[in-house]
Amino acid sequence: MTIGRLSMQHRRIVTGVLATASLLTAACGSGTSTSGGTTAPGSDVLHLAFYSDMSTPDPDVFYDIDGLEVTLYAYDNLIRYKPDSKEYEGDLATKWAMSSDGLTYTFTLHPGVVFADGTPCDSKAVAASFDRRSKVNSAPAYMLQDVDHYETPDATTFIVKLKKPVSAFLDYMASSWGPRAISPTALAAHAGSDVGQTWLATHSEGTGPFTLTSFDRGRRYTMTRNDHYFGHKPFFREVDIDIIPDFSTQRQKLDKGDLDAILHAFPVSELASEKGNSGVVEHDFASYLMPMVYFNPSKPLVSSAATRRAMIGAFALPDVVTQVYGRLGSLAGSVYPTGLLPASAAPVKYVDATSDPALPKSGTTLDFAYVADQSGVQRRAAELIAQKAARAGITLTIREAQPAQTYDYIKDLAHAPDLLLGTNTPDAAHPDTWARILWGTGGGLNFFGYSNTGVDAALDKGLRETDSSAATADYGQAGSLMIADGAVYPFANIKDWMVMRSDLQNVAHVPNYAWSLDLDRLSR
Amino acid sequence: MARTIGVRLVGAVGVLFALLTIVFLLRVAVPADPVKARLGAGTSQTVVERERHRLGLDKPLMAQYVDYLAGAVHGDLGQALHTRRTVGADLADFLPATVELAVVAGFLAGAGGLLLGVVGATSRRAGSALRLLFVAGASAPTFLVGLLLIYVFYLRLGWLPATGRSSIRGAPGGPTGLLLVDGLVAGRLDVVGDALTHLVLPAMCLALAPAAAIGRVLRSSLIDTLGADFVRTARAKGLHPWHVLWRHAFRNALSAPLTMTGLQAGLLLAGVVVVESVFAWPGIGLYTVQSIQTADFSAVAGVTLVLGAAYVVINLMVDLAQAAADPRIRTA
Repeated sequence: MTIGRLSMQHRRIVTGVLATASLLTAACGSGTSTSGGTTAPGSDVLHLAFYSDMSTPDPDVFYDIDGLEVTLYAYDNLIRYKPDSKEYEGDLATKWAMSSDGLTYTFTLHPGVVFADGTPCDSKAVAASFDRRSKVNSAPAYMLQDVDHYETPDATTFIVKLKKPVSAFLDYMASSWGPRAISPTALAAHAGSDVGQTWLATHSEGTGPFTLTSFDRGRRYTMTRNDHYFGHKPFFREVDIDIIPDFSTQRQKLDKGDLDAILHAFPVSELASEKGNSGVVEHDFASYLMPMVYFNPSKPLVSSAATRRAMIGAFALPDVVTQVYGRLGSLAGSVYPTGLLPASAAPVKYVDATSDPALPKSGTTLDFAYVADQSGVQRRAAELIAQKAARAGITLTIREAQPAQTYDYIKDLAHAPDLLLGTNTPDAAHPDTWARILWGTGGGLNFFGYSNTGVDAALDKGLRETDSSAATADYGQAGSLMIADGAVYPFANIKDWMVMRSDLQNVAHVPNYAWSLDLDRLSR
Repeated sequence: MARTIGVRLVGAVGVLFALLTIVFLLRVAVPADPVKARLGAGTSQTVVERERHRLGLDKPLMAQYVDYLAGAVHGDLGQALHTRRTVGADLADFLPATVELAVVAGFLAGAGGLLLGVVGATSRRAGSALRLLFVAGASAPTFLVGLLLIYVFYLRLGWLPATGRSSIRGAPGGPTGLLLVDGLVAGRLDVVGDALTHLVLPAMCLALAPAAAIGRVLRSSLIDTLGADFVRTARAKGLHPWHVLWRHAFRNALSAPLTMTGLQAGLLLAGVVVVESVFAWPGIGLYTVQSIQTADFSAVAGVTLVLGAAYVVINLMVDLAQAAADPRIRTA
């Protein structure tokens, strides 16, 4: 999943002007406290904001990040990840087991679970939900492409039979975009001609702790506590999510107390200025987010692996990471996000070198694009990399690219940029959901069409392993082969940071569920 | 008059056709893959191709263009990728908010321009102070003015809301989609009052630059007219200065400000993109921003067409107003 939004280059001007206005209003004696807030103490209504609309809250179609709170907490997976971990915990399932041949997964479901509409969520309902995902066949359907069939011997036993082993299968089940249980009764009533997609574009029909009670596009989504929820009762009675595209507006609403949290894109450089505000607090969490430099092997100046490796040395990435992310980022020791594989599986080292003979000759100019993001952090990283490259006499001409443009590069690689900077996160806490999409042949985020049959073979082998240590070795090999080719360099592990009202308690976060708060556990 | 309207309408069709063509060419020329961007990185090529086929994007360029024009003529503006609905349905949902904002901002711009122009032409000191205020506001970038207004009137003073159209749940959603009108129709004065408080800041922000421009032109036009012989004659007859100003000078000074009003209408419509983003105003400006982020050209084309049509209609109305104000234009 790629991270990218329109950049906001006006932040410094805004800060200056607001500071001046602050002085003026204070001088007029008309100021009110910015830290007190207007949300009543102990209020059981949570106010959040998304920067943009969800495409749809249908969990079998939705494949973005802004909006995960809705699909994660209106629906339930069979299993999910524990907070700050990639370990599984039961969601709809209480137990799960894989057969020794890796072809059969047996899930034991919570008895007595009902959907928000009051109908039972048993094994047949789960099977119907999984079937629907395949019928809809949108982006997240790939997680079920190796399923042969489902068996439902009794109401609480759900069996998945695969055509071939899939080492990532349990991670697919726990993924932020994993299959969810959807009420078959509601789906039958609102099937229409598109398997209920029109209906689920404005409603939820899940078992989760909340129900989507209004979906007012461009304005507000409201989630209301689901009284039928089988788990513990969430603290919040209602979650209101406003669509507020502008960060500065979100920040003023947070300061006033009308917004409880800014979930992402809070500029690193402005975190310090929020410290003086007693009403808000910053939280940072482990994540799988990694910024990375892509090389376009079709461009003559960076077509050699030795040149690409040498250029990474000239970029002084350790300095870049420190200066751009500060305490919120650390230099990557592996091409995989921390926790997905042991760092020793696909290690990567960064040696500061500006005189490597493999470098392009001094005076070379290269086209360097970065994917636009809301916080402007990628522009900052791109500028610093360009500064570092200049030490070796290499000029990087920086330009911004919208995410939709990056998907078009593959059609005309000769006219695509020489290098690209972007930040990505895997679909699940499994190396296959990272490596295959980034450097597997035809991978969705493999923007410059890198291809190595050895890498592909190692990825395929890893996916079919039933032994986790064997899979680790395969994915490690894939990563090492890719790094030897110098195709894509994920260079930092960065945290997921949020700024929120200080009265929020039990703040929990799962690394795979980027930009999301655990609404189930959160309280005030 | 009928001939004037007819000529303008024919011209409007030509303008809209040109707009459609430009937006279509833009879609072809800009290197972006909105379908893949919309479906996501994990989507198989089969699914991407299926979606392209469904949207007709796999046809030859000329066939796409013909389909596009034929659809537009029949009111079918295509499918918005980022909302997965028809562009027509999206516009029906988002347009009323923009219309309401633009109309209120238009009234504010007119009133502000009138105030600035008349006071500037009749009182040097007050006129200078007012002009300074308006020009300062109009010179600053719109997003900055918006954030400043939010900072002062919402965050510091707590007088006005910062975002959205209404704080009232269950506010009437029809029949027009205009909250002020729907509130009145439903007899819900609380809704009307609440909608007004939400309108103040974005409408002010949007109206500032047009008001300054209209006011400047009206002021100089009024000063010229007030020096004309027929005004001197009116004064010599002993008429009250306000009577001279309103009955004799004002109508004769209107031509240039009305032309400027038409031009400013375009600026006002363009400004909604920024203003709606800053104030989270759920109109077509906000819709456009989201569409651009996903390279959703059908949606952008739909908005362009609507704004273009609005611009043409507003200018037609300005032409008619000029003709009504100055009979010489009618006979020209």
